[in-house]
Amino acid sequence: MKQTVVIFLTLLLLSSCGDGRKQFHEPRSEADLSGLTIATSNGTYYHGKFEKRTDVGLYIANTETDALQAVRQGLADVYVTDEIILSQEEMERLNIKLAFRGKETFKVAFALKQGNRRLQTELNRFLAEAPIGDITSHWIAGTPEVPEKEYQIAPDAPPLRCVCAINMAPVSYISAGGEWKGMEPDILRRFAHTTGRRFQMENMSLAAAVAALQAGNCDIVSACITPTEERQLSVDFSDPYYEVHPGYFVPNTGGRAHAKINERLRRSLLIERRWEMILHGLLETVKITLFSILLGSVLGGFVCAAKRSRRRWLRELVALYGLFISGIPALVFLLILFYVVFAGTGMPPSAVAIVTFALCFASSSGNIFHSAISSVPRGQIEAGLSLGFTPMQTFNFVILPQALKKGLPFFAGECVGLLKSTSIVGYIAIHDLTHVGDLIRSRTFDAFMPLFVVTLIYFLLAWLIRKGLGMLLPEARRRKKT
Amino acid sequence: MKPICTMISIRHLSKTFRNPDGSANTVLKDVNCEISKGEVISIIGPSGSGKSTLLRAMNMLEPPDSGEIWLNGENITAPSYPLETMRRKMGMVFQNFNLFENMTVMENITCAPVKLLHLSREQAELQALALLKEVGMAHQADTYPSELSGGQKQRAAIARALAMQPEIILFDEPTSSLDPTMVGEVLSVIRHLAKLGLTMLIVTHEMRFARDVSTRILFMNEGVIYEDGTPDQIFNHPVHSATKAFVNRIQKLVYEIDSDYYDYYQIHTSLGRFCIKYNIADKNDLVFALIKEVLFEHLRSVRPITVRITHAELSGVTSLDIMVADISVSPLDDKARSSLGAQVRQIIEEPTTRGFRVKLIV
Repeated sequence: MKQTVVIFLTLLLLSSCGDGRKQFHEPRSEADLSGLTIATSNGTYYHGKFEKRTDVGLYIANTETDALQAVRQGLADVYVTDEIILSQEEMERLNIKLAFRGKETFKVAFALKQGNRRLQTELNRFLAEAPIGDITSHWIAGTPEVPEKEYQIAPDAPPLRCVCAINMAPVSYISAGGEWKGMEPDILRRFAHTTGRRFQMENMSLAAAVAALQAGNCDIVSACITPTEERQLSVDFSDPYYEVHPGYFVPNTGGRAHAKINERLRRSLLIERRWEMILHGLLETVKITLFSILLGSVLGGFVCAAKRSRRRWLRELVALYGLFISGIPALVFLLILFYVVFAGTGMPPSAVAIVTFALCFASSSGNIFHSAISSVPRGQIEAGLSLGFTPMQTFNFVILPQALKKGLPFFAGECVGLLKSTSIVGYIAIHDLTHVGDLIRSRTFDAFMPLFVVTLIYFLLAWLIRKGLGMLLPEARRRKKT
Repeated sequence: MKPICTMISIRHLSKTFRNPDGSANTVLKDVNCEISKGEVISIIGPSGSGKSTLLRAMNMLEPPDSGEIWLNGENITAPSYPLETMRRKMGMVFQNFNLFENMTVMENITCAPVKLLHLSREQAELQALALLKEVGMAHQADTYPSELSGGQKQRAAIARALAMQPEIILFDEPTSSLDPTMVGEVLSVIRHLAKLGLTMLIVTHEMRFARDVSTRILFMNEGVIYEDGTPDQIFNHPVHSATKAFVNRIQKLVYEIDSDYYDYYQIHTSLGRFCIKYNIADKNDLVFALIKEVLFEHLRSVRPITVRITHAELSGVTSLDIMVADISVSPLDDKARSSLGAQVRQIIEEPTTRGFRVKLIV
């Protein structure tokens, strides 16, 4: 056990120190890009642009963060994105630099759900009247902050639900405690306040954000999106509020060496009170796991009862349910429930996650209950009945303790499995432990430390689950007594 | 003799099981019987004759298809009758003990009195300890069933049934799944209970035990009570030929020794079991010595040989048959004859249709 942990940690440490950077001539123009690999995020203008060029390689990442990380890890040579996405400090911190600026000019705008004319009109009026130029130059060029006008939030107004697909300063990023900062959140927050609403923002990949927009799970998507005809087929756009140029970024050769472990730990956990984010993530994970287990076990009881039923149709229905659940990846099931079944119902994402995992857990825990009960010999039941116990008393005093002993190890295993599978809830913008680790990684660009901490916490949680459930065994309680 | 007080009355009881292939198997056919307080009844009969089913129907573990069972003037087969109440008055001891595996012997015995009769834990444990003394298990009170031998498990199970202070105890083949060496200890416990005047119904294959302990014997055959009477009537003057054949049945143990590669040690073990099972342990050494003498001295060069030990349970006659095929004269010489004759009661030498048989009555 101890050895396994040590080997595991050593491997993690080693993998964090790799540096596979290639030597190459820094490009000065688009023509120089020939023969290089370009990293960009999925679905951007650059994706389309460089797909057509046969002389360059493409690395398509899911998010801007991942695309940038690809260049830092040497998986790609050049990272192309809107120039404003990276501030000077951010570039220094990440040890990359701007190689050259592209010639094109794009207007960027916010995406809205198709047909939401009222919101579109409101937003366009706001963009025309508010001092957008001053706000943007505050974030991009560091000019003084524009004071926000007084506002009043109507108590019963629904919040303005925004999703952003970028988590990088200065465009939009999460600061300590999950507060959104940057150019886009600033604009949208002011817009929400002028219309008397609370401001809400989630982080998702662009594809997920657009799906959420179409499903009615959010109102506005921001990600320095350039309106194109193709995109206008599926979403509406506000008026453009800013102009951007393409920026071609390359690693800064001869940059800093790897930071020391304690410095990395500090950056991953202490700066911007990131340990607080991890704590929130932990609570979210524990909450989803716990409620899924509780609800799933109750449903599992019904599944078990149905499996033991004399009615054939009921048994077959449950078998079909088990087949259905076991045949779908938990993630796909989660996305179906979030984007299709509960879309537009206003159900909070964590509730959807709990329902998803509870439904999965019901099937497996039902199976475990069923086989544990079946493992108690018929003679034990007859003995209980023959002494004068009712069937219910026989179940409580005779079957249950024995079934518990046989089924509990499997049940604990299933619970640990559930805990681990909750790590996918980041897909529906729940800031659970894994997702929080990912957010920290996307800010510090240090993959090791957040993953290390997150791994450790999962490991401890799994251990706690096994220990805690082990205490339920009659043997354990007896041992404690004596 | 008219019964003093009828406790249980069984009327027109029938039960049919459905085989997996859909055919019907009628195990009880219109069974009628009256049981009085204080009776010790043994139910004997060939396997599959419905003995156990009758017992299990009586406390509704195997509800009958038709017919009625009356207990102290109440119809317990009526749909509305609370089965729990009836089962408290009717204890049951199972073939496979069915002690609760998750409880100690003490907990096994006290759990029902505490939860159902609302005894305090101290009271229940005091009573349990007295019962455990009764069955000789007081020193094992805190052990788990998995640590006990079969005989000990069954004695603990008897104590558990007694703890509910039932009016009658049903024993469902209490010694059938026991090692022969442990049958004796369980039978003596039951014998002891019979002396105390408990009403008991015992399904058993132990003929001598049934004859000695019972006040009444029911011989069941093909789903009906064939004959019902005192042990003397059933064992010594049976009316039906089927009863006669059953009670006089002979137990056999056969070895066919075809070559010198035969596993002789196995004879030692199985013969030992056989003798213990039929209560003739005193004859074990003699029979084994005789087999050895015949196989390795007198008939050393004769193979194959069939050796058969027979025992008539009721008469207590045991004999050792040595059979050699395809010969018509006795394989024994005078020396062998005199040596064996000194050890056994009688030697019978006779030709059979397939060869020659030497019968040694021990």
